[in-house]
Amino acid sequence: MKHLTNTLAKKLWLTVTAAILITILYSYFLSYLFYEKLYVEDIEESLFEEGMALAEDYEGGPLTTELKEQVEWYNTKSDSEIFIVSNPRELSACLPFDIDYETLIGEAEREELLQGNAVFKEGFEERFDRNIMGVIIPLLDQDRLEGIIYIYLPLAKITEITQDFAYLWMIASFLFLIVALGTGAWLVKRLTKPLLDMKQAADSVSKGDYGVHLNIQSKDEIGELAFAFNHMADSIRREDERKREFLANVSHELRTPISYVKGYSDALMTNMVTSEEDRIRYLHLIHRESGRMERLVGDLLDLSKLETDEYRLEKMPLPLAQLIEDALQKYGSTLKEKKLSLMKNLDPDIIINGDEGRIEQVIQNIMDNAIRYTKEGGISISLYAAKNGCCIEVTDTGLGIPQEDLEKVKQRFYRVNKARTRSDGGTGLGLAIAEKLVQLHGGELLISSKVNEGTTVKVLLPVI
Amino acid sequence: MTKGNRKMSVFKAFLYSISLIVFLASCSNHTYEPISSDISLAATVNMKSMSVTFIDVEKREIAAEWQLEKPYTGGIVFPDGDTFLLYGKEMETADLFSLQTGEKKASWDTGKGIVNAKVINDQKEIALVNQNNSSVIFYDLDGEKLAEAQTESSPLSIVESEEEGVLFVLSFKNQTLSKVNLKTKKTIGDYPIHGAASGALLLEDGTQLWLGGHGEGATIEKDIHVYNASDGEFIKKIPAPVMPINFLQYQQSIFVLSHGSNQLYKMDLDGNIMGTVKVGANPFELALTSDHTLLVAGYDSNDLSFINPENLEEEDKIEVGNGPFKIVLREKTE
Repeated sequence: MKHLTNTLAKKLWLTVTAAILITILYSYFLSYLFYEKLYVEDIEESLFEEGMALAEDYEGGPLTTELKEQVEWYNTKSDSEIFIVSNPRELSACLPFDIDYETLIGEAEREELLQGNAVFKEGFEERFDRNIMGVIIPLLDQDRLEGIIYIYLPLAKITEITQDFAYLWMIASFLFLIVALGTGAWLVKRLTKPLLDMKQAADSVSKGDYGVHLNIQSKDEIGELAFAFNHMADSIRREDERKREFLANVSHELRTPISYVKGYSDALMTNMVTSEEDRIRYLHLIHRESGRMERLVGDLLDLSKLETDEYRLEKMPLPLAQLIEDALQKYGSTLKEKKLSLMKNLDPDIIINGDEGRIEQVIQNIMDNAIRYTKEGGISISLYAAKNGCCIEVTDTGLGIPQEDLEKVKQRFYRVNKARTRSDGGTGLGLAIAEKLVQLHGGELLISSKVNEGTTVKVLLPVI
Repeated sequence: MTKGNRKMSVFKAFLYSISLIVFLASCSNHTYEPISSDISLAATVNMKSMSVTFIDVEKREIAAEWQLEKPYTGGIVFPDGDTFLLYGKEMETADLFSLQTGEKKASWDTGKGIVNAKVINDQKEIALVNQNNSSVIFYDLDGEKLAEAQTESSPLSIVESEEEGVLFVLSFKNQTLSKVNLKTKKTIGDYPIHGAASGALLLEDGTQLWLGGHGEGATIEKDIHVYNASDGEFIKKIPAPVMPINFLQYQQSIFVLSHGSNQLYKMDLDGNIMGTVKVGANPFELALTSDHTLLVAGYDSNDLSFINPENLEEEDKIEVGNGPFKIVLREKTE
């Protein structure tokens, strides 16, 4: 049995077959019953009418020879067996005398006939020694049962007809079965083909071929499943691409400082540097580049931590204005150096539930970017209550970001200036980390910008 | 009303009806409608409806109706004009009622099989025909069993010859006529007769026995068979179709009732038909009242016809209970 049901197609086919078979059998028995019932009723009715028509010729009094002969003649012409009886013995007239004789009609039947009602018979009749269906019509002269017309058909004749019907039915249902099974098999195949296609596509995906696309047009559940499958394969493909790009970016970001460190240290080791001044300059360069690598690796570690589910913030109520003030302290000298002004407008009443270190990191990353890309002018930072919490808004008068890059600046390693040098010093991960942290706090990081006019970064955070 | 309550009340109603039925059954044993002794009665014992219809033959109207509890098939009235004995083939006893009080007076343990009864021997004894035992049982009027005479199998009709002091007993199945001595209560002779004999008449002069019948097997009896009363010799057949089963002599006429053709024949003593009339439906019983009226009970038509014996005219017809099988006459006593 197991090998019969090891595929969905077989199961479906078996179900369809069973359903068809059950339907055929059920309808056969049902219609056979109805047929027999209707047919039998019809026969009973026609026998009754035939008998009644014959009885119309009876005009009262003792049965005449003429009537008897008429009925006899009619019997020779009719399909049914008809006879007329006037023998009072047969009609149970002597019944109270306990006569030892098997009469044609019984006591109850005689009573019924005396009432003027016809008696219907169905079943085995000892007198005829066979199964019959018949009707007894009384010939009454007032209260006197002068005779009866007995009209019957052997049941064998009726079952013969139902047998013919059964054969016909069997042939028809056999043909229907073949057609239905063929159609069923075709339907099942059609139903299960998309599933087989999907299985093959899944095999391809698991082997690394993410380019598969199922071409299933149906709008049903299978169509939806195929659509979901295509979507999934597409997502996997995009994730795979992102992973490759990330690896390429990391390698690229690391390669530059490594080549610096390697080049300058080679020069120092081979004594190519003659002056002490150059040697110190080289060492500074090596130190600067290794610092960059350290920051890069640190950021990468941060990012990978943030992306794991286990990362937990250590939240506490924070007066946000104070926190921003503290974070801005360290930018004093840098701003002075770059001759940039700093405007602050901080609402001291705003308190959020956050991780102090992480919020500071967010502000730092945003400020780093603002200072980094602002040549002249200034930076303004403000904190105010917003619709669903508060907003930290950092606006600079820097280079600005072209509209087409605005969506992507938050991606890892994305840079507006593709041909950038490392001189601007960023790791390319700052905004990605900042956004992640804001999201972990249940907030949102929005960037708007105009080229050559400046950039505004808004951090929306929920308050207590 | 909750379902449980409903069930309870149905159960209670059921109990009440049972107790009511028991109560009624115990009550009804006591009394039927009393019938005054100053009425000349013809009572029909109705098999199908298990009842007795009492008819005042003078007024030609129903005097009373007793709905019986047992399947009685026939009865006789004792010479006292009050005791009404009812018997039935399926009953262990013959029950005696008083017409005047409507009360049951006594029961005789006859055993099952009683199909006929007659007051005999100068109105001093009762002869009961037991078809199961193939015997005639004799009782005195006080219910004492006097003797039991064995007969051929299936006795049915009996006829008494007072002159000879014998009782003729017809065997229904055995084609035999038995003669029982009324003094010794012993069978004194058998004569071969036709089969399925039913209904017998001893002519008043005591010479001939006219016997009827239903016919054997599928054949139908169409004739009256006449036998010599003293030696049982077959004399002749008188055609009287179909199934002559009841006879009555009135003066110089013999009345013959044929139930198969619903015919009442009037014949002279030689069997010449003097008149015929169709009466009732499947009539079994024929009787003559003291005021010279013939009564015929139609078993299927459930009626009693009053026939003038002179011209065979049907003078009256009274609806009785279903299936009148016996007519019992009682003269008024005052």
